[in-house]
Amino acid sequence: MSQNTTLEPQSVTRSTSAPTVTPKHQIRETNEAFVLTVWLPGVDKSSVETTVNGETLTVLGRRNFTVPAEWTPVHREIQEADFLLELEIDHRVNRDAVEAELKQGVLTLTFPKAEAVKPRRIEIQG
Amino acid sequence: MKIVRYQNSPLFNPSTSYSTLRNEMDRLFDVAFPALSTLQRGLLGGLVSEFPIDLFQEKDAFVVRAELSGFTKDEINVEVADGILTISGYQKTGETKSSKKEAANAVTEERRVSRSVTLPEHLKLDQIQATYENGVLTVKLPKSEEVKPKQIAITVK
Repeated sequence: MSQNTTLEPQSVTRSTSAPTVTPKHQIRETNEAFVLTVWLPGVDKSSVETTVNGETLTVLGRRNFTVPAEWTPVHREIQEADFLLELEIDHRVNRDAVEAELKQGVLTLTFPKAEAVKPRRIEIQG
Repeated sequence: MKIVRYQNSPLFNPSTSYSTLRNEMDRLFDVAFPALSTLQRGLLGGLVSEFPIDLFQEKDAFVVRAELSGFTKDEINVEVADGILTISGYQKTGETKSSKKEAANAVTEERRVSRSVTLPEHLKLDQIQATYENGVLTVKLPKSEEVKPKQIAITVK
């Protein structure tokens, strides 16, 4: 890697100072890609930001819901804080071809593997 | 047997919420039957899991909000029986996915979630509305006019 990533100012770009929670997430590996699933209930397409800065992947999901004034809370379990997930990604990921899909509060990010780490089948000659 | 002073039991404080009571019961069982609790987390916990809910009250309705991300409308079941509202979801992924991308990542997975809430009386049960958006289910339960206490006349003979 020729890029010098260590000198980049990280975490300065965070646009929120409000408390955040780490969303539930899962990483799976297939032959072609790493698949990251992030559960972001209550977050729609316009309020999720996914950024790759150097080695850091940041997923920020904002909840759009505010309790209407005429609703009196009886019992609460759902947190109001926004979701923030920061993960490190390394050279095994081809970061130019990341695909993202958000469906009913579930964000799926597909990171294709870099060519160098894909399993390669070698034909036996003769 | 060792006697330990029981601290801060919310069981005897009526102002604490249901979840505190629940946690307290879980803690009690964890202490009393540690083997059972691991067994429960490993087996039962994997089968049916819960999801967080919020309950609100407005002037003419009760509102239940539930975080149920990743389901489709058809995979969620909302029902009221015997004064109990049950929200459940069942999902099986991996087999019937049509798109190629999902088929490539196919891992057959079953997901079952369920949560029940005891409802207050005097609700218009036939006018319950449920909407599902961005992984959040909102159920609105309209209140009916309170039934007036019945006066029963006693005739003295």
